[in-house]
Amino acid sequence: MDYVSSLILIAISTALINNMVFHWFVGNCPFIGVSRRVDMAFGMGAAVTFVVSLAAALSWVCTYFILAPGAPLTNWIWHKISPQSTAIVDLSILNYIVYIFLIAAAVQLVEMYLRKFVPSLYKAFGVYLPLITTNCVILFVCLEIMKHVSGASGPVFWDLGKALTYAAFAGIGFMLAIVIMAGIREDLDHCDVPVPLRGAAITMIIAGILALAFMGFTGMDKNLAGLLKQ
Amino acid sequence: MANGLPSTLKRFTNGILPENPVFRQILGICPTLAVTNSMDAAMTMVVAVAFVLICSNIVTSLIRNLLKPHLRILVFTLTIAAFVTIADRLLAAYVYEMSKKLGPYVPLIIVNCIIIARCEVCASRQRVVASVADALGQTVGFGLALAAIASVREILGFGTWFGLPVMPSIWPSWVIMILPPGAFLTLGLLMGGANWIGRAWRARAAAPRPAGA
Amino acid sequence: MAPNKGYIRQAWLVLALAACFGGALAGVQASLSGRIAENRLSDTMSQVPALVSGAVRGEPDKSFGELTVYRALDASGRQVGWVLSARGQGFADVVQLLIGLDAEARTITGLYVLDQKETPGLGARIAETAWRGQFVGQSTAKPLEVVKSAPAAKGRIQAVTGATISSESVTGIVNAAVAHFRQVLAAAGEKQANG
Repeated sequence: MDYVSSLILIAISTALINNMVFHWFVGNCPFIGVSRRVDMAFGMGAAVTFVVSLAAALSWVCTYFILAPGAPLTNWIWHKISPQSTAIVDLSILNYIVYIFLIAAAVQLVEMYLRKFVPSLYKAFGVYLPLITTNCVILFVCLEIMKHVSGASGPVFWDLGKALTYAAFAGIGFMLAIVIMAGIREDLDHCDVPVPLRGAAITMIIAGILALAFMGFTGMDKNLAGLLKQ
Repeated sequence: MANGLPSTLKRFTNGILPENPVFRQILGICPTLAVTNSMDAAMTMVVAVAFVLICSNIVTSLIRNLLKPHLRILVFTLTIAAFVTIADRLLAAYVYEMSKKLGPYVPLIIVNCIIIARCEVCASRQRVVASVADALGQTVGFGLALAAIASVREILGFGTWFGLPVMPSIWPSWVIMILPPGAFLTLGLLMGGANWIGRAWRARAAAPRPAGA
Repeated sequence: MAPNKGYIRQAWLVLALAACFGGALAGVQASLSGRIAENRLSDTMSQVPALVSGAVRGEPDKSFGELTVYRALDASGRQVGWVLSARGQGFADVVQLLIGLDAEARTITGLYVLDQKETPGLGARIAETAWRGQFVGQSTAKPLEVVKSAPAAKGRIQAVTGATISSESVTGIVNAAVAHFRQVLAAAGEKQANG
């Protein structure tokens, strides 16, 4: 039960309170670019959620078993090569390169899957699918997981379940943000926006007001934590 | 230039206002919003982006004739990720406090669209000198944009600029400017302002000259 | 056969670049990792003199299990106090603290906020010297209470105006860490006394 309540806390915290777009500012490019229609926004949100969960799983496994200081696989190989050495192998300098390639691979996998099994969705996405690689949300999630797996003295350790929950709900939070924005922008088409503000500028201003609204969730996780402990 | 690509000087001046990465191309918004709550953090980010942009442009330009079409993005990504790692480590070693403040936004330079876009548009097609000029121009544009946003947010939100107090002590700091909503609002309004100025300039440039002038 | 050969020939560039960058990164790691580790440690260690009077440096003490404890030593190497590293949920995000205690862990001698992401101007004022100074000299016998007006007696901390939750979080973290530490210290002392 303790484990489930910590999962619930992670989920709510990352979907609502520390929302990817409105608190951490990541995922802004698709947020501005794809939020014109609700169905496209929903599709993009779903695709990002799927890719981020896949990428998070891959990066957790890589970080825990290969890259982190003292990781099992690399140290086992090192001790086979030079049994007398007491050094601890730390490949964490390669973290960023490995993560970005895992993300590119995950996007490639999703692309191939969609092209084969759901070609209509593949055509609907067009050029936006490969652009998910440069979506900051996914790399940000991988970096957060890295912080919690690398055994630094600050953050709590996250096992695979917590990491996947974090990733999935980060994607869901992003989807929430982009769908809300799409709903507002669809209505905005009928409004008289001043010419200099049309396009990205008015989107940012609306995002500011939405961020203000989402700030109302702050502190919820502390009370929720207290509630779940009882 | 003979092959129809902009000259070195044009590459440099383009990056400042006409093709400003933040206000015109709307790229690199993530760091723009995240680190602009104080000028020193914003300027450190500009230096980091400059380092990565210039180095990746140089490397990409040097190997531009060896690049195969479908391996391009892979090579760009590898180059950028390597330089970002170096930049991140240098920051952690020499300006540790600032590196903690910038946090995860330094590694996020890897997916900063500005850098991949410049590699694709300029560095993979032109000589090293033109690529460096392009990188410098984009950096100046990026720096101006970040400075504008960070100045507004820091002066209104903390009453300081680069940590030095500039507002009278009766100024009630607008905490909202430091928080996420302030970031979005400032960027939106400044974008609107930049669009307005751009349109006014273009209208003036296109207006017919008065007779006898 | 031809496409395969083509791909291998094209991959040589990627492999060559990977090797170059790998070498560069290894060099960066070798030259900078010492400095970075030092920076991380000095975050904590540089605060020890301010947290415990008379101390000049701190030494990690691993005998407390999951608690992160440092012995505060003076110039001659004698222990003059303890420094605890504690963390807990604040209002917005996790708050990390360093708590200074005297040698018998009976009085709090200092408090330092290592990391906090509270609201600037409100909750972030828990990092201010004046507010933290309320903890200095407090006894550890009973948990500290948070009050909203000026405290009438010892054992009470006045909350930051408009940031009650942040103030209560910090006080809660301090109470929990100190209580846990005293428990472990007492148990270790009993074990030593009983031989």
